[in-house]
Amino acid sequence: MHRLLTRRGFVAGAVAAAFSTKALAQTRPDVLRFGLTPVFLSDDLALLDELKRYLEQSCGRPVQLVTRRTYQEIVALLVSGQLEAAWICGYPFVQFRSKLSLVAVPVWRGKSLYQSYLIVAKDRSVATVAELKGDVHAFSDPDSNSGYLVTSALLAGLASSPARYFSHTFFTYAHRNVVRAVASGLAQSGSVDGYVLEVLKQVEPTLVEQVRIVRRSEWLGFPPIACAAGLEQDERVLALGQALYRMHASGAGQRLLSALQLDGFVEQPPSLYDPISLMVAAVSRSA
Amino acid sequence: MKVRHWPITLKIPALVAGLMIVVSAVVTQQVISRLVDTQQRNLTALSDAYLAGISTSLVPHVLRGDIWEVYEGLERAQGLYPMLRPIDTIVVGADGLVIASSHPKTSPSFQPPPDDFVAELKGTDFARNEARNLAFAQQDLMYQGRRVGAIMASIDVSHLRQERDGVLMTLLLTNAALTLLLACSGYMIVRRMVHPMRILGDRLRAANEGPPQPIHASEMPRKGGEAYELFESYNGLVRAERQRQSLLLHVAAEERLASLGRLASGMAHEINNPLGGLFNALDTLRNFGDREGVRARSVALIEQGLKGIKDVVAAALHNYRPERDARPFGAQDLDDLKMLVQPEARRKGLSLRWSSELEGSYQVQKTPVRQAVLNLLLNACAATPAGGQVELVAKRVDDQVVICISDKGPGLPPAAMRLLTSEDAAPVGSSGLGLWMTRRSVSEAKGNISVTLRAEGGTTIRLSFPEVAEEEERERAVA
Repeated sequence: MHRLLTRRGFVAGAVAAAFSTKALAQTRPDVLRFGLTPVFLSDDLALLDELKRYLEQSCGRPVQLVTRRTYQEIVALLVSGQLEAAWICGYPFVQFRSKLSLVAVPVWRGKSLYQSYLIVAKDRSVATVAELKGDVHAFSDPDSNSGYLVTSALLAGLASSPARYFSHTFFTYAHRNVVRAVASGLAQSGSVDGYVLEVLKQVEPTLVEQVRIVRRSEWLGFPPIACAAGLEQDERVLALGQALYRMHASGAGQRLLSALQLDGFVEQPPSLYDPISLMVAAVSRSA
Repeated sequence: MKVRHWPITLKIPALVAGLMIVVSAVVTQQVISRLVDTQQRNLTALSDAYLAGISTSLVPHVLRGDIWEVYEGLERAQGLYPMLRPIDTIVVGADGLVIASSHPKTSPSFQPPPDDFVAELKGTDFARNEARNLAFAQQDLMYQGRRVGAIMASIDVSHLRQERDGVLMTLLLTNAALTLLLACSGYMIVRRMVHPMRILGDRLRAANEGPPQPIHASEMPRKGGEAYELFESYNGLVRAERQRQSLLLHVAAEERLASLGRLASGMAHEINNPLGGLFNALDTLRNFGDREGVRARSVALIEQGLKGIKDVVAAALHNYRPERDARPFGAQDLDDLKMLVQPEARRKGLSLRWSSELEGSYQVQKTPVRQAVLNLLLNACAATPAGGQVELVAKRVDDQVVICISDKGPGLPPAAMRLLTSEDAAPVGSSGLGLWMTRRSVSEAKGNISVTLRAEGGTTIRLSFPEVAEEEERERAVA
């Protein structure tokens, strides 16, 4: 079921995204177009409104928030210059390392790191990854680090792959949906973003109570805010960076950070995502 | 109580209730039958709409085998059809395996649909299992004229059963209330209608026990109706009967006076007989009173004569002034009667044969017994030709005082016999009044009369009086 993100596939996706985004046509040169992947906040319209207001106020310019169903669509828009910046995942960042630059990295629980979790239904008595063999497995997105790559790399380490290890796999295109799929029994196990699951514990405890974590991955670079390479010094990108770095300093920013359960945003070197690069390489070798 | 013995005030309401129950049963059956049909049509239409509505949005996802989107589509549809109550909705692919269902734990993906779906539907589009309160529906998913899968649903229809039960209960309660109302109304109406008949019936029943009573003006229905005319006729009958009774009693009194006259003439004779001797004794006393022996004999004769007169007078008084006599019935009463009848018997030249085994007193009503026996003795004297014999035999048999009076007459005519023995017989004119009065007297004393016509000629009339408790006797006397 899953689709590996190849360069050819990406170009096709970027073209498709370009054709389907006439709303993104640059009508005003000072508009900041900011893309959001469907990690978990893209379906919270109130939060999006608050983020838009904060960014417009902090950047002193109009801000257009752009959401799409898949990571691939957002990354395609970003790389093709139809977005000034986007909150993407570590996996596409390392995939398109040469075409993207880091703007800011969120800080969660004091670090810019998070984990990927393998989850099962709470009443299921499994303790190891080996026991998940033959499952119907739910992934978040084929371009998600925590929702696909980490598990693929883990299976590559076992000389296997999702297609061979699991009986069936499918993508839900949102980490919350992975939790729903496992909780409902649609999938027997799932790969989910650890940060999203921890936030959901607070927001939707009854949903999270229905699942159990079987494995936590090593700590990996938190999904970053990136811009297309060459736009680092664009004043809109610079303004966005400053707005993110200073978010903790204002009341509106603190409300946003509280809703996102983040400590703030900082500058980080691209090397933060080297472990993800190693996983990509491992998966490529296994394939 | 058997139904045919029920009063009409119960029969008609019961009939109304019975008819209502039959009508209710038919109406209820019709309504429930129509309701079931309507529910079935609505259920089929709703399930078709439900499946068709989901199908449209699911077909693209089914074509791509997108499990999550199919599941999301089913999840979104769950709340959109509150009238239908689908339990589990399953989407299967062209291979017949489940792509996704609304309840993945019971209908997991990549597995055949649950057995009950297959068993219930059996390839049809709709099936209903009444016992499980479930319905099953399915539709093919078509794309460009080709079947790409199917969508099937199990539907909770318990609310339809509840609705049906509710309607049934409402019908039953309403019909029961209506039946009760109509039965009560019927009872009230019929009771009102038969009320005059009931009054009349009560009066007629009471007339069987005692003298008929007229219907009081306060109980009379409004003028002009049939009941009013009926009541008027009844009251006219009562008036006529009362007049007849009054007349009969009057004639009876006359008759009694006539017999008293006859007795009085006999008694005068009885008194007159010793009077000659008494006057002789008085002359003897006047002329030879200075002789002690003559004086004592004359005084004894006078005393004997006066005693005879006293007995005759006392017997007459006992019979005609009973209230002055507080003694119970006994042998003395028969002696009195003998004394009263003897003059009549002598006058007609009859011999009187008297045989009484009674001694002391008995708990029977004295006055009516004396009256009845005297009447019968006088009748016997009248019926028996000169030189004949009238006989009285009195004895006690099985706690009863039995008195038989026999004559040597031509035999009691049948009409006279009926007057004596039948409660319903009444005298015509003044004929038979004595016998009618005798029967009333015997009835008053709770006695019985039997009449025997002897083969050798003559009649024997047997009177029997049961002895009653002293207390009862006293109560009757007080009453």
